[in-house]
Amino acid sequence: MSGLRRFGKLALALLRELADENAYQRYLERHGRQASGEEWRLFSEERLRAKYARAKCC
Amino acid sequence: MKLLGRLFWAAVACAAAFCLGGIALNRGEHINSIWLVLAAACTYAIGYRFYGRFIAARVMTLNDQRATPAERLRNGHDFEPTNKWIVFGHHFAAIAGPGPLVGPVLAAQFGYLPGTLWIIIGAVVGGAVQDFVILFASMRRDGKSLGQMAREEIGKVGGFIALVTVLLIMIILLAVVGLVVVNALKGSPWGTFTIAATMPIALFMGLYLRYWRPGKVLECSAIGFVLVMASIFTGQAVGQSPDLAPVFTLSAMALAVGIILYGFLASSLPVWLLLAPRDYLSTFVKLGVVLMLGIGILFVRPELQLPAFTRFVDGNGPIFAGKVFPFCFITIACGAVSGFHSLISSGTTPKMIARESHAWPVGYGSMLLESFVAIMAMIAACVLQPGVYFAVNSPAGVVGATPAAAVATISAWGFPVTVTDMTSLARDVGETTLFSRTGGAPSLALGMAHIFARSGGGQAVIGFWYHFAIMFEALFILTIIDAGTRVGRFMLQDLLGHISKPLGRTSWMPGVIATSALVVGGWGYFLIQGVRDPLGGINSLWPLFGISNQLLASIALCVATTILLKMHGAKFMWITCVPLVWLVSATFTAAWQKIFSPIPALGFLAQADGLEAALRAGKAANAAAAQTLIFNARLDAVVCGVFMVLVAVVLIDSVRVWAGILNGSREAQVNEAPFVLTQLRAEEL
Repeated sequence: MSGLRRFGKLALALLRELADENAYQRYLERHGRQASGEEWRLFSEERLRAKYARAKCC
Repeated sequence: MKLLGRLFWAAVACAAAFCLGGIALNRGEHINSIWLVLAAACTYAIGYRFYGRFIAARVMTLNDQRATPAERLRNGHDFEPTNKWIVFGHHFAAIAGPGPLVGPVLAAQFGYLPGTLWIIIGAVVGGAVQDFVILFASMRRDGKSLGQMAREEIGKVGGFIALVTVLLIMIILLAVVGLVVVNALKGSPWGTFTIAATMPIALFMGLYLRYWRPGKVLECSAIGFVLVMASIFTGQAVGQSPDLAPVFTLSAMALAVGIILYGFLASSLPVWLLLAPRDYLSTFVKLGVVLMLGIGILFVRPELQLPAFTRFVDGNGPIFAGKVFPFCFITIACGAVSGFHSLISSGTTPKMIARESHAWPVGYGSMLLESFVAIMAMIAACVLQPGVYFAVNSPAGVVGATPAAAVATISAWGFPVTVTDMTSLARDVGETTLFSRTGGAPSLALGMAHIFARSGGGQAVIGFWYHFAIMFEALFILTIIDAGTRVGRFMLQDLLGHISKPLGRTSWMPGVIATSALVVGGWGYFLIQGVRDPLGGINSLWPLFGISNQLLASIALCVATTILLKMHGAKFMWITCVPLVWLVSATFTAAWQKIFSPIPALGFLAQADGLEAALRAGKAANAAAAQTLIFNARLDAVVCGVFMVLVAVVLIDSVRVWAGILNGSREAQVNEAPFVLTQLRAEEL
């Protein structure tokens, strides 16, 4: 049961990483800020600019 | 290794050999897909445990005491030590595109065996090694890109050529995946409506994330997924509506123009509005569908209907011309060896690796998983009746424009199929016709729908599953089109910035519009060419894409070989040289044949000459169209030739460097970042 729970936690963490939610959390912690619309816009603009400057695989 | 462990691995090796032997030697009767699954899984297990581990321990000497760039350069953004399974999933999601799904479906024209063996062996010995070594090299060099490493390890020429090659591949890739979508949606109101609906859904998601629930990406993606599923159901009603169906029934040319306009607009819009929300959604859908397909195959265990070999190994295949060697090995690139992966392995991933040993599962393991996706695509294609498979995938220019002519041609090849079979199948999946739906996506969707429907719901739900599969393929292909156009634009601006400074600035709007138009014009031209091609476009574009992708793999393997040579001398060169020699042989042979073969269906120049002769003899029905086809065939020959020359230059440059190192005239300087002891604790991961 605990193995299943651990797997579930890992799967959720993967989804959050793919969704950039973990990166947003790290960004807030690093800058000591609270989540807000303005913070998300600042974070996502920088994140997405870097993300879509790289080639996407075939 | 303990006795029990040895016995276990001996049993896995025996199972791998038994299953590979089973699928290789079976003739004349249908085999169950589970043989392919077991052969692949056991071979991957052996390759991962022994070959991957050997490379990790003996060649790379991965050291967990050494701080990785993720730790040393940690910025909470790109550089961040991350749990290895999360990096694994992230890397897999980044490398898995339409390539491992479409390539095997097209290569199934040779039968299931050549493609399956290439996918399994190619991945273990070539693809996974390339991804792993490049990931390791980038990780030891502060996350440098392939181009930067090529410049440092081989020379300036190598770095510049890597950049130009990637840009050219991008153009061909975007054209060919655009053609796959066009062929899947032409004359299909249900499919066209569903895909059109994903655009307002993505816009809604973009606004939702930006203004209403900032940062709630998972929540937003779940809503987006529900809306996309609703659009599939609505699409069925639209397809059956006498008023709405004609609006969404588009010709191939109309769809191509639509995709080109979409590519231009989408790449110029802010990323948060359309691209990013759809990318999130398509990533989750992609992972979910791959998982579903794996479970579906294990649950249904369908029999393969295609034989081990078909008569088309001789080079006269209707889907694409050319013999099994070299064309099987360039048709399946992603899934066996893909040069594009080297860009991912030297992109985001090395900046997330927390421990050096994690590069083994991430670099080597992810490629094996992608290879497994390719095996599943091969199974999905091969569960179709061969007659149906060829009727869907063969262009009208080869089998005939009418259903009666097509079934007569295909049945004469020894793959019986009737007009009634095809009509009934088309009706079941909610289409008016399935003849000559080239590109691989419709036949893959049919195979997947067959497997999903047998898992539950039966024939009653096959139409839903077919359109679900089409939606899944088109969703991430369109994401690749707008992301790829944007990346191509950045690359072009990078190159043009050397000529004119303003053109290099990504904030200068005229420069952005001009370079976007150039990139879209580039792939749009090849897309229109594919639509007009009487042989269906895939015959010329997919091999061009395969050749360019494998040539990029050759550049990556040249860089990898140079690094291994500098680390160990000639001792371990064979690890990357073996796949390099194979790829260079297959790819240069294919490129040569595509340019110079005297067979018009195969050689671009012969095709142009044939058309010119017909034009001169007054046999061409449409002189202007024939002129365009002649120009296109010669252009394809030039593009193919440029690829060959570029990679030949890198190869010669690399061999010069290797010879210098081996005879002692050149210093074997390893450009790794200095050793720093890790401070990361286990609980931080």
